[in-house]
Amino acid sequence: MIRFSDVTFTYDGAEHPTLERVELAVGEGELCVVVGPTGSGKTTLLRAINGLVPHFTGGRLAGEVLVDGRSTREFRPRELADVVGMVGQNPAASFVTEVVEDELAYTMENLGLAPDAMRRRVEDALDLLSLHELRNRPLATLSGGQQQRVAIGAVLTASPRVLVLDEPTSALDPAAAEEVLSSLTRLVHDLGLTVLLAEHRLERVLPFADSVVLIPGDGRALVVGPAAEVMRNSPVAPPLVDLGRLAGWSPLPLSVRDARRQAGPLRLRLEGAAPRPPLSADLITPVEARLSKASVHYDRVVALDVVSLEVRAGEVVAIMGRNGSGKSTLLSHLAGARPPTSGTVAVGGVDPSSLAPRALVARVGLVPQDAGIILYSDSVGSECAAADRDTGLPPGTTAAVLERVLPGLPVDRHPRDLSEGQRLALALAIVLAPAPPLILLDEPTRGLDYPGKARLVRLLTELAASGHAVLIATHDVELVAQVATRAVVLAEGEVVADGPARDVVCHSPVFAPQVAKVLAPDPWLTVDEIRDALNVEIVHG
Amino acid sequence: MAEPRSDLAPDAVRHSQVAVVRLRPRASVLLAVTTLVGVVGFTWPLFLHGNAAAGQAHAADAPWIFIAVLPLLLAAVLSALAEGSLDAKAIALLGILAACGAALRVPSPGVAGFEPVFFLLIPAGRVLGRGFGFVLGVLTIVASALITGGVGPWLPFQMFGAAWIGFGAGCLPPVRGRFEIGMLAGYAAVACILFGTVLNMWFWPFGAGTHTSFSFVPGAGLIHNLHSFILFDLTTSLGFDLTRAITNGVLVLVLGRPVLAALRRASRRAAFGVPVVHEPTPCLTNEAPGD
Repeated sequence: MIRFSDVTFTYDGAEHPTLERVELAVGEGELCVVVGPTGSGKTTLLRAINGLVPHFTGGRLAGEVLVDGRSTREFRPRELADVVGMVGQNPAASFVTEVVEDELAYTMENLGLAPDAMRRRVEDALDLLSLHELRNRPLATLSGGQQQRVAIGAVLTASPRVLVLDEPTSALDPAAAEEVLSSLTRLVHDLGLTVLLAEHRLERVLPFADSVVLIPGDGRALVVGPAAEVMRNSPVAPPLVDLGRLAGWSPLPLSVRDARRQAGPLRLRLEGAAPRPPLSADLITPVEARLSKASVHYDRVVALDVVSLEVRAGEVVAIMGRNGSGKSTLLSHLAGARPPTSGTVAVGGVDPSSLAPRALVARVGLVPQDAGIILYSDSVGSECAAADRDTGLPPGTTAAVLERVLPGLPVDRHPRDLSEGQRLALALAIVLAPAPPLILLDEPTRGLDYPGKARLVRLLTELAASGHAVLIATHDVELVAQVATRAVVLAEGEVVADGPARDVVCHSPVFAPQVAKVLAPDPWLTVDEIRDALNVEIVHG
Repeated sequence: MAEPRSDLAPDAVRHSQVAVVRLRPRASVLLAVTTLVGVVGFTWPLFLHGNAAAGQAHAADAPWIFIAVLPLLLAAVLSALAEGSLDAKAIALLGILAACGAALRVPSPGVAGFEPVFFLLIPAGRVLGRGFGFVLGVLTIVASALITGGVGPWLPFQMFGAAWIGFGAGCLPPVRGRFEIGMLAGYAAVACILFGTVLNMWFWPFGAGTHTSFSFVPGAGLIHNLHSFILFDLTTSLGFDLTRAITNGVLVLVLGRPVLAALRRASRRAAFGVPVVHEPTPCLTNEAPGD
């Protein structure tokens, strides 16, 4: 269906080719996942399929890309529109119309289809992506996952045979991401579409992947093959694959079920070993944030219902729970957005909503879910300078913090031209510069690749060790497993669980990380813990 | 995280103007001819000699010839410009900017001279080139006329005026920084006054009556008529034009920098003018693996 023959592509003015001597063949009905670190050329590879590379971007292309027998040399992107459908990261950026049905029909209007055919295909798309209940809704009122499903539906109405998705879940929270990915796998299985998918959340897609294209990104050649084989040597891998590699399982399991079936011997080996004890529960560090019997009501909706919570310096507390359970409300009240309806909120002993902005940022820093919304300058450098000015810090402070968080970020780059990880680093640097004792993060792993996540985990651990209190609202159980000392589960605005992260997470089928699911009932959380335990065992043995 | 996609165009493109709409020889000739006809269409009253009675007789109907001819010529220029060089990216940008320009005209269609329509056109011509500026000028006026209901015999003349302003903005010398903003603001002010003045000319022959001191007198010679016209201009529209000049000049001074930056970023991201090269395939063998 898709074939790259000896494709080399160089952007205009670039010294090195982004794609070099790529050989790739994807068959009909395959679900092919493109894996690689940020900046390795995933997007370039995907855009070469419908001819956007090089026709839109410019540059030099050698070799040939054939899609359904058509070469992108002779066929321009518009002449491939009936074969290849493309979906990007941010669905809202691609919308043209206002309402779901109109958006679904828009592609076909451009292709000049007859009204009755359009009508029929809109219905099909509504059914395929379970959008029928949303058909008359304005696009702006949909959740991120629903919007992305509409974007996929709009592409499907042209009945393409190839669907290309470039990190379709990067801009979504994990729940919405899951919704989109499950729709996708259904499309592959029901319609036999050929799907190419670049994705960071490998743990969700790998069980369904037929093949994997690995772009190492350090100049080494592309690796193409069956998922289990390629993942064996992949520098980016979900915890499950890491665990399988550590334990030497073969074939490499890609789903929790497969892993569990091979996990017996490992469980035996780990018998008697125990993960490092968690941070002492009775900390004597000062309380940085305290909610006592705080309730928040929005009109008739109860967002927080008599919540009492204390967060001490040196703690990393994960706030978990489904969408709308009150996580963001909790964070925004700690950040002093407004006083609670009843009860009290105190940060460092003071009501944060009573503080002047400058005093507030010195006590509590909030990194919002979409880091971009606190960035408004036209370059990284001026963003840092503005942050120094706004908070009254000596010039250069924010830039120095940024250099620590993520070294080498180009100063003249526009914040919108940064990757999600880079944007998060910049937002973090701005929030951290005034050194607030309490740091709040709302869904910080959105769109981060594995190295980006690892860097975030290191940074948060360092911050906690240096006496900051960190609160993270997140759906990302792997992040919680790696970094949290304590987990709080919210439901309907109430605290339903509060305790050491390991206890809370391991005993919940919803919040358990992959490693815990494989090794249950033993309370292991991360691959690193198991590596340590096995090393100890080897030393002693 | 490593560098994101390295598809940002090189500095050469970022810091110089790109010709989003390229002026090929045929388009250039057509543009020149159209401009000439346009100039005649505006200024014929000044150069009319000879039979005064005949001139008077045609003072009322002569503008209508130009009103009929100018749109056709403009259409020819647009099609010549579009030929080959106007790709999907350029069309998208044209559409967005024309819509924005038209929207700028909606809230106050010229009330007390607050007509910020050129404020977008001038930076756009500056960043995206004179060909683009020309086309954008025409489209902005057409779009805004359709929205505001301002369709009338003045429309072709307005289209022409705006097109020239956009074209001129693309011809300004390559200075940068503070001087650039100053230059653009100055250009905006001058262009607004010229636009108003020149647009007075098309209806002056029949708009100013026949026996006032600023009436058009057919065949009375260049000096006399120019004098009358300047009087006409001063008394009727100069106040209006000055307000508009100040409005647009100040807007460019205040908002010029971010607008220029946004346009330059858009132009960089869209990689206008970056060549597409298909290298010959080096002796392609037909045995692709994995198949």
